[in-house]
Amino acid sequence: MGKIVGGFATSHILFSPTGVEEQADRVADGFLQIRDRIAELKPDAIVLVSADHLNNFTLAVQVTLAVGIADEHTSFGDGGVPVMTFPGHRALGEDLARHAAVRGLDLIQVEEVRPDHGMMIPKYIVDPDNKIPIVPLYVNAAMPIPPSPARCFALGRALKETVDHQRPDDEQIVVLATGGLSHWLCVPGEGDVNAEFDREVIDKIITGNAHQLTRYSTDQVVELAGNGGLEMTAWMVMAGALPNVKGEQLYYEAMPQWITGMGGVALVPEGV
Amino acid sequence: MKTAAYRVHRLIQDLARDGEKAGQFAADMEPFFEAYELAEQEKQLLRSGSREDMIELGIHPNLQMKYMRVSKPPRPAGPSPLQPYLKKLGLE
Repeated sequence: MGKIVGGFATSHILFSPTGVEEQADRVADGFLQIRDRIAELKPDAIVLVSADHLNNFTLAVQVTLAVGIADEHTSFGDGGVPVMTFPGHRALGEDLARHAAVRGLDLIQVEEVRPDHGMMIPKYIVDPDNKIPIVPLYVNAAMPIPPSPARCFALGRALKETVDHQRPDDEQIVVLATGGLSHWLCVPGEGDVNAEFDREVIDKIITGNAHQLTRYSTDQVVELAGNGGLEMTAWMVMAGALPNVKGEQLYYEAMPQWITGMGGVALVPEGV
Repeated sequence: MKTAAYRVHRLIQDLARDGEKAGQFAADMEPFFEAYELAEQEKQLLRSGSREDMIELGIHPNLQMKYMRVSKPPRPAGPSPLQPYLKKLGLE
């Protein structure tokens, strides 16, 4: 049986530091903490959870939940991240899809997907040399009918079960979720940040109480945190994969200048 | 909130995936409006391309950003948004 040795979640953009130099510096420090902690854990693979930004899945084919199962992936090349090819992990992706189906969560399996900035900005910082195999796990937060926080938490549980029971002994997996926190994008309210909601999300996750966030419906999250804030459902996947595990906030900055509540957390199980 | 007819979104998605078509569109929108059978109000709001008009039309937020890019002539790529951080992040 394998083990999830760490879970991390972070916002997935870095905008201009002009006028917000100290906050931007703390955000960048948060990214570096994630990089360094993942390096210490020496994972055999990272399950990278995020929404696509209508670069791969569009309104033509609206994919709710999907897992990358390819031997390698090439990035989309947006957000300032160079186009790069990096190893995937077909077996882990397929095992997850297989076990998730047993659990009533049907994942679309994708061979050809090009992870965009949502995955790639954190991945580029964490693993610029493309050494760690990546399983992209997509959670729709942009197309009309997204999965709920509760659904995503259940997907995280299925991921944990996959690693615990379906993967080889001693395999070590890190879950890295990206997106959020609160932001309103190209809708009325753009520029608002709901620090209260963001801090609740962070607090519940780092105290091992993320299951309490499953009471929020998708509509409630959008109302409280914006259409972009729905990306917190990726954080719910990570939290579901490390149930009851406590951790710490790495950074939180309410940044209207970046139209986003920027946050990052780390969960590391005892004994790791 | 209003949602634009799919024909509008299909146009933007197709332009976002095809740089050559996007360049043609930026030079002359009208043939594309005809090909995608857009309604007159849709054409007017897309010709404007302002944030307010895109919201009024009900264009998906992510596609609004893509439309702002494809509806203008191609420009040389600016500095990467990560540029100010590359040294700190060890990515130089």
